[in-house]
Amino acid sequence: MPIHSLIRTSLVVIIVLLIAGCGGATGTPPPSSVTTAATNASTARQGTLRVAFDIPAKLDPAFASSDSEIAILNAVYDYLLDIDSASKPQPRLATKWETSGDGLTYTFTLANATFHDGSALTAKDVVWTFDRLRDPAAKLPTSDLYSNIASIAANGDQQVVFKLKQTNPFFLFDLSDNHALVLKANASDLGTKLNGTGPFKVTSYSPENRIELAANEKYFIKDRPGVANLTFIFFKEQQASVNALRGGQVDLVMRMPSALFKQLQSDSSLQAVQIPTNGFDLVRLRADRKPGNDPRVIKAFKLATDRKAIFDNVALGFGALGRDSPIGPLFKSFYSEDTPLPARDAKQAKQLIADAGYPNGLKLDLHVPDSGDRPDLAVALKEQWKDAGIDVNPIVEPESVYYGNNGWLDVDLGITGWGSRPTPQFYLDVMLVTGAKWNEAHWSDAEFDKLAKQAGTTLDDSERAKAYKDIQRILIERGPVIVPYFFAQFGAIKKTFTNFNLQAFAGRTDLAAIRMTK
Amino acid sequence: MKRSRWTAADTAVSRLPSAVRTLRILFAGPASAFGTTVVVVFLLLAVFGSFVTPYGDTQQISSEAREPPSAKHLFGTDRLGRDVFSRVIVGARDILSLAGVGSLVAVALGTLIGLFSAYRGGWLDEILFRFFDSILALPSLLIALLLLGTVGPSRESVLLVIVIVYVPIVARVVRSVVLATKPKAFIESARTRGESLAYILFREILPSVLPTLAVEAALRFSYAIFLVASLGFLGVGVQPPSPDWGLMVKENRDYGALTPWALYFPVAAISLVVIGVNLMADGIKRVLSDER
Repeated sequence: MPIHSLIRTSLVVIIVLLIAGCGGATGTPPPSSVTTAATNASTARQGTLRVAFDIPAKLDPAFASSDSEIAILNAVYDYLLDIDSASKPQPRLATKWETSGDGLTYTFTLANATFHDGSALTAKDVVWTFDRLRDPAAKLPTSDLYSNIASIAANGDQQVVFKLKQTNPFFLFDLSDNHALVLKANASDLGTKLNGTGPFKVTSYSPENRIELAANEKYFIKDRPGVANLTFIFFKEQQASVNALRGGQVDLVMRMPSALFKQLQSDSSLQAVQIPTNGFDLVRLRADRKPGNDPRVIKAFKLATDRKAIFDNVALGFGALGRDSPIGPLFKSFYSEDTPLPARDAKQAKQLIADAGYPNGLKLDLHVPDSGDRPDLAVALKEQWKDAGIDVNPIVEPESVYYGNNGWLDVDLGITGWGSRPTPQFYLDVMLVTGAKWNEAHWSDAEFDKLAKQAGTTLDDSERAKAYKDIQRILIERGPVIVPYFFAQFGAIKKTFTNFNLQAFAGRTDLAAIRMTK
Repeated sequence: MKRSRWTAADTAVSRLPSAVRTLRILFAGPASAFGTTVVVVFLLLAVFGSFVTPYGDTQQISSEAREPPSAKHLFGTDRLGRDVFSRVIVGARDILSLAGVGSLVAVALGTLIGLFSAYRGGWLDEILFRFFDSILALPSLLIALLLLGTVGPSRESVLLVIVIVYVPIVARVVRSVVLATKPKAFIESARTRGESLAYILFREILPSVLPTLAVEAALRFSYAIFLVASLGFLGVGVQPPSPDWGLMVKENRDYGALTPWALYFPVAAISLVVIGVNLMADGIKRVLSDER
């Protein structure tokens, strides 16, 4: 064989193998030694925690939404309160709070905190922050969420009083919304000037590459933060950030596909953590037009689906098995298994499809974003539904295309990922009640609407639990939705660090609590 | 069969070696023998593969997911319980037919354009080939991504991409041979005999282009396989659940540590076929140069 063809063929082999094995980090490869920069040696804080995240786009809290954006902001600013893993509100800037007897007035007492620019936090800053978020004229993403607030007022420098129009059992959860970071009154250029009260101060920011922060020595919570420096290093692909973790270029990675997590579990230098969440993938069929407007078709889709097989093989058994409702097992008192989920019966499903006027079966496009385990879910469903005479053609699209121009709200059959929320009411209000903003199935059910409203306004927990139970029954019986599984959240950290307490929404994980192991 | 009249076409045919001699020379060297065998085996798999696969290419046996290679599943099963052996074999059909048809059309079109444009010359030839040069200046994968971004991913658009990307390359190769042949005496005499344009192009010029073309076609075929696999890997080519090799690599990349067999068998298949076609192309080149 001539030399040049030898070279050519070996090049081909190398390229194939490279394609197989590579992810790509963005920017320059992160240098491994940013560690222990000269900082205050008098404190017990030491070391640099390097966290891998995807590239943040918007750092103004009103517009931030991704895990990486919230993680950065959560290090620089503070929330009034946080929601812990047991869905219980915990104090942060608000050290305590009182609710009036009618459930309409909330009074919060603030901590003695200072902004990074040296000025003290006052009640005025909190009032300004929430007035900005709820201003209907500003059209911020939060204006709907806070439309129930009648007034916000400062009572001296240390107290803030919120008055509501209607009772809202989830008001404390709303106040801990991802966008609700407390800003300095009249702050401007929020996307670039990060002046918070939080545990870390920004020291340098190189867009699309990294952001470096140092401990806020005047932080109002004792012993926080636990490390001297915090660096976020940005990666475009999760495979690349996992490679960086194994290669020692970063110390902490959160959010990754189940398969990548599974391989990190066997790495002895890492503490690999997984927790169940309330997030889920939703398979939904439009119910306001053919073929989904026939209840028999909806039932056939549900009967043709093997949720257990999907949970085992697509979610690799991480998280929890779904029951066609967004109210998952983590909502302990609200979750119910009273209504049995019918066993898979492809034959009966086929009959129902025929009865509905499709004796030769159904043919539909299945739109699916190219993220997480969703393409695999689509492929698994295609094969299961085939037995019931439902022939779907998976169309895998980049997320920007799937969500672009509200295409996801228009298609007949789609798969949408829904992030974890601390209360189930959110999902009902924005996804399932008649006319809801993101009612992607275009579903309308009078009984459901009534129950959802009841659950969302009553202050009686047992009444709410009963309404949620009925809602789960209705969704299993006739909702045009399939929830095959609830995701787990994954994280892995080098064992040189401790006190890592992963949250369902990874961006809200308390990085200030993490410290070096002794 | 008896022939009544001796024609120029027979000269063209007689200039090509007979099939038997070609095979003998292809199998003379160990490298080209290996390459040819690989290509023939994969072609046979592509045609008859679906008769020998033990399972359906998209069939999911969820209770047997992520099993390592065994007698039951020769190449193991992937994350969803699909038989990797069956998928690789059926994948051969998909990738070889796409790359094969695509490169054939590209070679045919490129030859036509190259022959005609180079023979006629003039401003049309100038403009056309300056345009082709500008296309050739861009990496083919980049052009493919741009095109697929416009027309959307599907089997047909991948075919279209192969044709659009490879026509200029083939046309340029053909053109250079035609330009060298054009001033020769036998073309001149055909022209003085008053032969038609089609006759001169296809009966007089084409035979001298054929040896180069045969090698070029084989090379295009191997690059087309690579292009189809790359597009599948980037997720803009053939869509799931097709057992496209590139797509299988993409889908199983995250599972590299969990089900390595589902990742490395398709990788091996791509490498093997591309190497095979390349070695065979070397063989063809030697046959044709020996012949001259």
